Amino acid sequence: MDIELGAQLIDSLRIGLILLDHRGCVVSWNGWMKRHSDLGLADVAGRQLAELFPEVSGSRLESSISDTLRFKLSSMLAPSLNPSLLPLYHRPTDRQRDQRMQQLIYVSPLRHDHCACLIQIHDMTSALRRERRLRAQSTRLIESSYQDPLTGVGNRRRFDQDLAQRFRQAKDRQRSIAMLMIDVDNFKAYNDHFGHQGGDACLIQVARTLRDGLRRDGDRVSRYGGEEFAILLTDTDGPSACAVAERLRLAVEQLDLPHPAAPGIGRVSVSIGIAAMVPTDEQLCYILVAQADLALYTAKDAGRNGCMWYDAESGVARPLPASKTS
Amino acid sequence: MSELSELHRDALGELFNLGVGRAAHSLSQMVRDEIELSAPFVDLIQAHEVSATLIGSEFRELSMVTIDFEGPFVSKAILLFPERNALAILSNMLDPELTPEELSEFEQEAMCEIGNVILNACMSALADEFGIELHGGLPEHYFSDTESLPIFADGAPEQLLLLLQIQLTMRQQLIQGHLVFLLGVGSLLDLRNCLDAYLDRLGMR
Repeated sequence: MDIELGAQLIDSLRIGLILLDHRGCVVSWNGWMKRHSDLGLADVAGRQLAELFPEVSGSRLESSISDTLRFKLSSMLAPSLNPSLLPLYHRPTDRQRDQRMQQLIYVSPLRHDHCACLIQIHDMTSALRRERRLRAQSTRLIESSYQDPLTGVGNRRRFDQDLAQRFRQAKDRQRSIAMLMIDVDNFKAYNDHFGHQGGDACLIQVARTLRDGLRRDGDRVSRYGGEEFAILLTDTDGPSACAVAERLRLAVEQLDLPHPAAPGIGRVSVSIGIAAMVPTDEQLCYILVAQADLALYTAKDAGRNGCMWYDAESGVARPLPASKTS
Repeated sequence: MSELSELHRDALGELFNLGVGRAAHSLSQMVRDEIELSAPFVDLIQAHEVSATLIGSEFRELSMVTIDFEGPFVSKAILLFPERNALAILSNMLDPELTPEELSEFEQEAMCEIGNVILNACMSALADEFGIELHGGLPEHYFSDTESLPIFADGAPEQLLLLLQIQLTMRQQLIQGHLVFLLGVGSLLDLRNCLDAYLDRLGMR
C-alpha cells in the first residue's frame, strides 16, 4: 500500500490513533485526534503526551505507555476506572462547557524501527449515555411491573413475591407473620350503580386509605384481584394484626363514600379476614392465604363491614373481641 | 509432575511477589486507597487437574481475564476470580453505592483493566528480572464456570499450568483469586532456562 493511501486511511478512521517512538514522543497523530483535541501534528510531533497534557503525568496512561516501551506489554483503560483521561471533546461546544469525551483507550507495542507504541482511543460518550438511559428505563420498568396501574399500590406479582420472601424469612427466624385479606363490600352493586369509572374511583380511594393507614416502613398494600386487597405484616402476631385490620376497616368506613345500592350503612365498607402464624418447616406460604381467605368469607357471611380472624386451634374464623363497634 | 525444582519454585514465587507488589501499587493509585496483594503459593499442575483444584476452593461462577504473552516462552496468563469476589472488587473500586445489577454492567471492561494491571505487573517483573522482552496482547474478559473452563479444554493435554493463589485485601476485605499461567512443555523448558540464568546471575546455583 502506498504511503499516501495509508495516511488517508488513518486520517479517515473514526477512532483516535497516536504513534509514539521508542522515547515515547509523538510520531503520528491522525485526523480524529486533531478534530477532538484541537491540536495538529505540528503542535504535538516530537513531544511526550505528559508534556502536552499535564493530567497524563502519574496516570495509568503514563504507566501503560512505559510498560509498552520497556516491556512490550499492552494495556486497556476502561472509562469507568479512568473517567475522561485526556482533554478530548466530542463537539467543540463541549470544550466550552468542559465536558470531556468518555474514552476507552488501548495501548499496545509495535515491532518497528521508529514506532514503538500504538495508542487507540474510542469515543464512548454516546454508548455510556445510552447505557445510563437504558438503566434508568429498566429501573422504571421494573418498578412499574410490580405496580397496579389503576390504584398505584402493589400488584398481584408484587404480592406473590413478597409472600414467598417474607414467609421464608418468618420461617427461618421463627417470627410471626400475618396477612390481611380485604374485600370491598357489595362492589358489583356499586359498579352497577355508578358505572365502571365510578368503581375505579372508589378502588383508588380505598387503596389510598389502606396504604395511608399502614404505619410501619416496609408494610405494603397489594391489589390481589378485582376489588380485593392483601397486606402482609411481618413480626406481627394475631392480636396486633387484628388491631391493624380494625383500624383500616374504620378508616374506609370514615371515607364516607355513598353507596346507595348497599344494604345496611349506605356507605362503602370493607370486610377483612386475618391470619397469623409462626410457620413450621412443613408449612407452605399458601396456607396463610387460605386461612385469611376463609376468615374473609366468614366476615362476609356475618354481614360485611367487619373483621374475622382465623383461629388455628379450632380451625374456624372468629370475630374480633371488640369488633363491630360502629 | 515436578519439572521445576524447589529452588525454581522459590525463585518464581519471589518474582511473582515482586510483580504482585507492583500491581498492588498501581491498583492503590487507581482507587486512592491501600490495596494489598500477595501470591503465597506457586504450584505446577496439569490442565485436566485444574477444575478439581479450583472446585476445591469453592469457585463456581468465574470472572476471568486472559492475556497472551510471547517471548522466549509463550504463555497464556489468566486471572480468575469467583464472580462474587470480582463484584466485591469492583464495588470497592467503582462505587460502593452501585447495586449488583449496575455493577455487572461495568464488570466486563473494568475487570478487564484490573486483570490487565495485575497480569502486566507480574509479567513485567519477570521480563525485568530475566532481562527479556515479553510481547503482551490486549486483555480479554470471560465468564465461565469451573465445569466448562473452555480455555483449559482447548489446550493440548500435556499442557502445564503454573497456578498461583493470590490474595487481595482492600478496605479490610480479603478477596481470593487465582493467577494461572498456561505453558506448553517446550515453554516450561524455556522458562526453566530463564530461571537458571537468573539464579546463576544471583550466584544461587
